[in-house]
Amino acid sequence: MKIVVCIKQVPGTNDAKIDPETKRIIREGIKAITNPFDAYALEEGVRIKEKLGGEVIAISMGPPRADAVLREAISVGADRGILLSDRPFGGSDTWATSYALAKAIEKIGGVDLVICGKQAIDGDTAQVGPGIAAQLGWPQATFVMALTEIGSDYFLAKRMHEDGYDIARVSLPAVITVVKDINQPRVPTLKGRLAAQKVDIPVWTAEFIGADLHKIGLDGSPTRVVKTNPPPSRHTNTMKIEGTPAECAAKLVHELRIRSLV
Amino acid sequence: MKHHIENKIYHVEILPPKQDSEKLESDLENFATKFNRVMESGYCACITDNAMGNLAFQGTEMITELGLEVKPEQVMIHLNTFHTKENLDEILNTCKERGIKYLLVVSGDGSDRLPKLAPGDIGATGVESVTSVELLKYIGKEYPGDFVLGVAFNPYEPEEHEFEKMERKMAAGATFIITQPVIERNPIVDKLIAKYPTVPLIVEAWMSKKLSLLSEAVGYEIPEDTPYDPIANLKTLHKNYPKCGVYLALLGFKSQYDLIKDTWK
Repeated sequence: MKIVVCIKQVPGTNDAKIDPETKRIIREGIKAITNPFDAYALEEGVRIKEKLGGEVIAISMGPPRADAVLREAISVGADRGILLSDRPFGGSDTWATSYALAKAIEKIGGVDLVICGKQAIDGDTAQVGPGIAAQLGWPQATFVMALTEIGSDYFLAKRMHEDGYDIARVSLPAVITVVKDINQPRVPTLKGRLAAQKVDIPVWTAEFIGADLHKIGLDGSPTRVVKTNPPPSRHTNTMKIEGTPAECAAKLVHELRIRSLV
Repeated sequence: MKHHIENKIYHVEILPPKQDSEKLESDLENFATKFNRVMESGYCACITDNAMGNLAFQGTEMITELGLEVKPEQVMIHLNTFHTKENLDEILNTCKERGIKYLLVVSGDGSDRLPKLAPGDIGATGVESVTSVELLKYIGKEYPGDFVLGVAFNPYEPEEHEFEKMERKMAAGATFIITQPVIERNPIVDKLIAKYPTVPLIVEAWMSKKLSLLSEAVGYEIPEDTPYDPIANLKTLHKNYPKCGVYLALLGFKSQYDLIKDTWK
């Protein structure tokens, strides 16, 4: 099975600043990490490969330094990585990004399954996975918490809902987005990490994937961020309860009760 | 372990590089330098296992990948319960192959990124989760005679609970104890010595001036401006606990290493 896993490099902080002019996150000087949900997507791809054979290709779109998340992916089992990095991609919204990724998936060719995390922790839109499916014209299953059966041309996806789950039969090729419940991502080994550092990560340009320049970047983006506001800060209060275990328990119950928490 | 104490062999903590290190090459080089220095000094290198829940590389893989020479009496690996069964056995088998016999078995600090052993993974029954006790039993059963197993003691936890846990740890196969950091003297540690007079005890000396980290380790707030001289505390520990070994936590290899060679006399 040929599996593509989409991975985004995101700021590894809860304190990211927004550029007042561009309304985009200021990424310079901020530690960048793999979008946590994408780690679950990658783990699922690697597990399917280990079970059924095939290949896992990690793909990311971003600046040159985003190759770090692809190396990380290779260190935990992806066979290779591809970075979409080119000036015309800059400013792409989720639709334009979906288009670029879909063009790259077509360029790879013969892909059976695309796996994405349910959303990225910076934009929180959850749109790119479904967007890729729409661009490719493939079926999709979102919020997948388990793949209960995988056949040669279909799979059964257990999809998480607020009040339960459903099981969908989906024909391949397809796109899925996954939630944390699907697996426990493995931790990279030192051997894997060192090997991944030496791997060449090809950089694909808009021209190379045959992208229509009117469909990527700002021109290809039907949405604009017109205003951003930081969320209100959360107020926390720490209380230390002292005494014997019995006294502490009684005080804890008292404090919870006066806050109507029990 | 008694031999370590009798021969005044320090236990020197070494932290492997973190998984998200952005300067891995130099971190690996630093680790190798520290490890080799401890070997040359005749001390025991104690390699942590995802200390404080921070994802780091395993001691065994560091030794293997860097080709470090293990002197069997001089290496201790920390081992916690945040592993897959496969990974746990890989670590234990590597220790066996490399001649590493000292293991500090702890429950450990987890994180979202770390798997946790389930009771069924290691044949534990009648418990809801795996702690150091179940891990000790597993190692004792599956790797009989291969390792010398130690456990941690936290004098800052409720005393009755901690002593009850220690009884279970001893029954599960622990043969030496390492404490949480002790500042000068601790009455609960004194009680521990009185209760287990024949069990080798190693007190932890906090060698960093970062008191916020010490606060995390001991579980109560120590103001950052509290005067604290790690070397003076180390000397006091030797004076107060002459029959105990000492574990040097967060030792400064550049600024402190040369100062400790004459502190244990």
